[in-house]
Amino acid sequence: MSVILDCRSLTKKFGSTTALSDVNLSLERGRIIGLLGPNGSGKTTFIKIINGLLVPDDGEIRIAGMEPGVESKKIISFLPEKTYLPDWMKVSEAISFFKDFYEDFEEKRAYDMLHRLNLDPTKRLKTLSKGTKEKVQLILVMSRRADLYCLDEPIGGVDPAARDYILNTIITNYDENATVILSTHLIADIENILDEVIFIKEGRLVLHEPVDEIREKKGKSIDSLFREVFKC
Amino acid sequence: MLGKLIKHELNATGRIFLPLYFIILILSLVNRVLINISISTGPLNTLRGFMIAAYALSIVATLVVTFVIMIIRFYKNLMSDEGYLMFTLPIKSSQLISAKLITSLLWNIASILLVAGSLLIMLGTSNNMTILRDFIDFVARGLKASFGSNYVLLIIEFTIMMLVSLVQQILLIYVSIAVGHLFNGHKVLGSFISYIAISTIIQILVTLILLIWARIAGSSLAELEAIPQKVFPFSIIFALICNILFYFGTNYIFNRKLNLE
Repeated sequence: MSVILDCRSLTKKFGSTTALSDVNLSLERGRIIGLLGPNGSGKTTFIKIINGLLVPDDGEIRIAGMEPGVESKKIISFLPEKTYLPDWMKVSEAISFFKDFYEDFEEKRAYDMLHRLNLDPTKRLKTLSKGTKEKVQLILVMSRRADLYCLDEPIGGVDPAARDYILNTIITNYDENATVILSTHLIADIENILDEVIFIKEGRLVLHEPVDEIREKKGKSIDSLFREVFKC
Repeated sequence: MLGKLIKHELNATGRIFLPLYFIILILSLVNRVLINISISTGPLNTLRGFMIAAYALSIVATLVVTFVIMIIRFYKNLMSDEGYLMFTLPIKSSQLISAKLITSLLWNIASILLVAGSLLIMLGTSNNMTILRDFIDFVARGLKASFGSNYVLLIIEFTIMMLVSLVQQILLIYVSIAVGHLFNGHKVLGSFISYIAISTIIQILVTLILLIWARIAGSSLAELEAIPQKVFPFSIIFALICNILFYFGTNYIFNRKLNLE
């Protein structure tokens, strides 16, 4: 299997606090990977570095062999935890925006998903609730044919019914060559769809294993292992 | 990609500028009619006063809006949550800056042309046009008399200087916002401080250079020919250097020091 993401002693500091410390990690294609850790553990810092929004202080990172930059951004589909669409836009305008800038964006898929969630594309984003905006963003991000999807807290702000739909959307919308990184602390909700998990604690990688192995060898669910590792 | 960025930028800003431009054009047309009606009392006269005041206000509003939009667009679209969208597009950050700069430049020029155009619509009677033409002739004659053959050069230099200074004003705002972004937790305050600090440094630099230059060149700098031959070229080159520093400074911060909240 080819490698989609490779990090060597990746380190990022903010002043005196170390947000990521000596992270070595190699992720393969075709996986759904949970990036798990408590608040402030460095999940978002890691995702920002992958997406070129932060420059690491030390170490290196390669996405499909490339440093973060224009070429890597073409193959990464990123969902930040922020509502990042300009609120004066109509949903349909946001779709045209994505279509203009991303060659791998499939307009039809976006409209199909909007339709299935009963979202009106002629509505302005500012008239939508926070949860609905998050759904629109997820639809845009999942309508790309990317190699790597980085989803930062994709299910945090939506109701459980929509949560199921969104997770289903994620599973059914990526192809076998693509990898999905899902950052969240709502582990129980996503446990069933994960192939691998990464635990980060205080900026350090503490575990990276296939889910099956954890279940078989340790005889534990991810949720209970998480509670054990991150016990306060 | 730059073209697409500019298209989206015009789209995002046009929804504010175009209605404003439309109001000004309507007001100047209405005022043209009202001004030429010979009535000095009664409600129509009050209306006329009101409409002229509205026109003046909308002109001021356009100039203020042009300036404010330039700042808000840059800050909101790149430094706030929208930055997560813009900086993950498969685009160089220099193109983000260029698109913002070109669009701001276009709106600045459009606003100036619009104000001039609306004044012509409102006051452009044949009588006034003669006065205007006479005035332009008078200025041109004066320039010819003072500068002789350098007069065309002077006008070209002046136009370039205006353009380069406009770019400098825009890029100064951009670089200040970018530097302000480095102040953790006090980004807006940091931007203001950066703006004041950078403009002060530039003022001091210009003053120093002029002082030293005047000492070396002596009285020759005070002669009229010095304007097209020395002073204007110096201003243009100085502004160009500032522009390059501001542009690449902003780009450096975006590439290496970006830290969106």
